[in-house]
Amino acid sequence: MQKGFLLNSRVDILKFINKVISDTPDLQKLVVSFNEKEVLFKQGENLPYLYLLLEGGVKLNRENDDGSSLDILTLEPGHFVGLVSFNTGNDSLTTAVALKPIKALRFSQDDFDEYLNNHPRLRHPMQQLMMSNMTDRLMGNVQLESKMHALNQKLEDEGEQLKIAYSKLEDSQQKLVHQEKMATLGELVAGFAHEVNNPAAALLRSSEMLKENFLDLPSGDPRSRIFEIGLNSSPLSSEMVRKRMLEVQKKFPYVKERSIIRKLAQIPEEGHEVIIDQRKKTPIEILVQQFEAGKFIHNIKVASERIANLVKSLKSYSRQDNNEAEMIDLRDGINDTILILSHRLKYLDMEVKMDEIPKTCARLGELNQVWTNILVNACDVLPDGGKLKIRTKTEGEYKIVVSISDNGPGIPDDVLPRIFEPNFTTKNQGAQFGLGLGLAISNEIIRHHGGFIRASNRENGGAKFEIILPVKNC
Amino acid sequence: MDHEIYILIVEDELEVMDAIVNDLSEFEDHFPIETANTAEEAQSVVDQIYHANNEVGLILCDHVLPGKNGVDFLIELQSHDLARNSKKVLVTGQAGLEDTIQAINKARLDHYIAKPWTKEQLDSVVKEQLTNYVIDRKYNPMEFMAILDSVKLAESMRANPLTDN
Repeated sequence: MQKGFLLNSRVDILKFINKVISDTPDLQKLVVSFNEKEVLFKQGENLPYLYLLLEGGVKLNRENDDGSSLDILTLEPGHFVGLVSFNTGNDSLTTAVALKPIKALRFSQDDFDEYLNNHPRLRHPMQQLMMSNMTDRLMGNVQLESKMHALNQKLEDEGEQLKIAYSKLEDSQQKLVHQEKMATLGELVAGFAHEVNNPAAALLRSSEMLKENFLDLPSGDPRSRIFEIGLNSSPLSSEMVRKRMLEVQKKFPYVKERSIIRKLAQIPEEGHEVIIDQRKKTPIEILVQQFEAGKFIHNIKVASERIANLVKSLKSYSRQDNNEAEMIDLRDGINDTILILSHRLKYLDMEVKMDEIPKTCARLGELNQVWTNILVNACDVLPDGGKLKIRTKTEGEYKIVVSISDNGPGIPDDVLPRIFEPNFTTKNQGAQFGLGLGLAISNEIIRHHGGFIRASNRENGGAKFEIILPVKNC
Repeated sequence: MDHEIYILIVEDELEVMDAIVNDLSEFEDHFPIETANTAEEAQSVVDQIYHANNEVGLILCDHVLPGKNGVDFLIELQSHDLARNSKKVLVTGQAGLEDTIQAINKARLDHYIAKPWTKEQLDSVVKEQLTNYVIDRKYNPMEFMAILDSVKLAESMRANPLTDN
């Protein structure tokens, strides 16, 4: 036996012990054997014996509370079996099963004490073997700990990735819902626009025919003259009407009825001349009525043209079903969007200056979404009378720049870097229609078109959005 | 009557204004019409009318106006010493539920007409509201028999026998 820092190897010690066994009949009595799959002891049993495995192998496994079974250790020749329980007196933590036919020395407590402490030949090897067993198990424990740590780390990483994947999934789901909504809205609008077009056309045609009917008088008739003046006149602001009513009262002192005075106030000078010229010849009521008829037909025409224009814009604005890229003039889409949003933009001081720009290959409907998002955002932050500027220009030969700027509060510095991120919204109060997706979607649309969008604050206050798109052919 | 009872129309679209004014022209011999294109203008017209010792019997007001909106204007009128008695009608296509509730609760809105209106509808609402106004203010119903709701005016005469006003 060698002495020193290092323990002899388990195999060497075992060889020596085997030799001692063959020399010692008392020891031979302690040798037992088990067949494959035979159980040495069960989990929860108190162990009266400690085994020293001489040949074969033993598996220690443990049944968990949930009924699952876990392999704890595989023991080889030179290992003690039942070491922990035997030394502590506690019930066994595991069940020991023979993996193959085994031979082992079986010690009772008394035998073990005797051999470990007093046997002249076996004392040292047994002690060394104890140490070696302990060292093995400790090393196993250390490895296990670091393995567990690595596993925990991996689990945490996976959890983190799962979170990211989940939030991405949520984003794309919201985007899909939004796209679906837009598509449905597009269809609805296109259908509606088509239906409204018919009555609008009927109105327009009827006003034309009505006009012909009224004009069916001998030429030079003062009635048709004043009807034509009515056809070409536009309604006056109420302030102007008030002012002109005072003038009319002086000009036509013989007219007492206020409703006639009001009507006269809306008739331009040349009409007044006809009326004064016809005094005593044609009753003033008749001439006023003729003027009114002309004016109303004019109003019908203007209103139905407005409907037709709105419908036209709505149709091209909502052309999202036709997702084909085509050669378009960006300004058409911008103009349509301005018209569609006129109910909101009419409160702003708009300055639209669109330079001549070349046509480019793009999806009109998608770009309209971009203009809408930016303009609606501006309307939300600008007070009545706020300034909004829209510009288009070319940069070099191959770039179109659309800039939309306002004199509103600008974009806070902490918001600016995140402004194109999905779900970023400052519209927390109330049920605004935004999902916080508007600018993120705009950003995606523009990138999809091979361009880019940037937001900044102007030096003299207000926000500025610039959309840069390439000039290209389809 | 020693003074005039005005109808005030507030509407920013000139063609629409034109149409309302014409639909109401039959009332104008008894109730002069005034018009305003914005709430701010309407406010100053109201002041001018009362300044000339006349009064506003009825306000027909659009909701969506440039600048101050119609409902806010009507709410503000509630703190006007005299115009708070005027009958208030919202004529609009675009007031949401929230705005309308505000108008009813805070401006004591008397009626709501949704655009597009018909002449008959407008006539009957204006007639009803002006009748109520005349009765509320205890003016001599006889003067309005020809133009307003004569049955209702007669009933009010029986309920409140004329004193010396």
